[in-house]
Amino acid sequence: MRITKKDKRDQSSTSPCAHLRAAYHNCFNRWYSEKFVKGQWGKEECEHLDDKHLSRFLEAEIVPSDLGKPVDGVSQ
Amino acid sequence: MVKAYGQEHVYKHPWERVTSASWRKFSDPENKRTLSHIVEVDTLNHKLDPESGKLYTTRAITVHAPGPWFVRKIIGQDICHCVESTVVDARTKSMQLTTRNISLQKFLEVEEKIRYDPHPDNPNEWTVCQQETSIRIKPLSALASMAEKVEQKCAEKFMQNSAKGREVMERMCKYLEAESRGIAM
Repeated sequence: MRITKKDKRDQSSTSPCAHLRAAYHNCFNRWYSEKFVKGQWGKEECEHLDDKHLSRFLEAEIVPSDLGKPVDGVSQ
Repeated sequence: MVKAYGQEHVYKHPWERVTSASWRKFSDPENKRTLSHIVEVDTLNHKLDPESGKLYTTRAITVHAPGPWFVRKIIGQDICHCVESTVVDARTKSMQLTTRNISLQKFLEVEEKIRYDPHPDNPNEWTVCQQETSIRIKPLSALASMAEKVEQKCAEKFMQNSAKGREVMERMCKYLEAESRGIAM
């Protein structure tokens, strides 16, 4: 079953990003109130959504029928 | 033509709590009903300078298009993308937020600046918030002929929204105060 990209845009709150985003916000809010403003600003403890996460989402979006096809520029 | 206006508000809460509340303002589900003009908030970047205790943040904020219905009709869009840049200095206790629209720029430019500082009369207990908003209709846009009216309507809308923002901030501060005392709400 193919899910079009267009549909996904409207489902931001239920997208795979949503729970990671919520987890990140919780982590950040806690770090900010309990550490940063109290003088413990030595390091940030929350992992932000980065390229690693984004590539995972992109992988998850590839539908099985696309998997067997060779990708341009990649030697097999 | 630029229309600018400023507002000041004193929170009877310490700076640490008020700025914590500011971060939670858009993410708390209960606030979403009050701040219905906010569609989506995404953190694009956080950068911490561990030497100086400064935290730099960039967020993308999607809002329902500003101003009255006829503006939305003319610009043909009902959402507007904005970028918010925040600098928090934990050492000097200051938080500065600047928000600008990045879409609809050929029609209008809106810039909102907010500062949170400890109140000079009671720096450990109170926080002063200063807000400055400027609205500029682009001279050659479809809105130019009625610029004054549009700016006026936009200003009214922003005033309403910032009143809602204060209401949410006060609620978040109360919540955080209760939480810090270990009372579940």
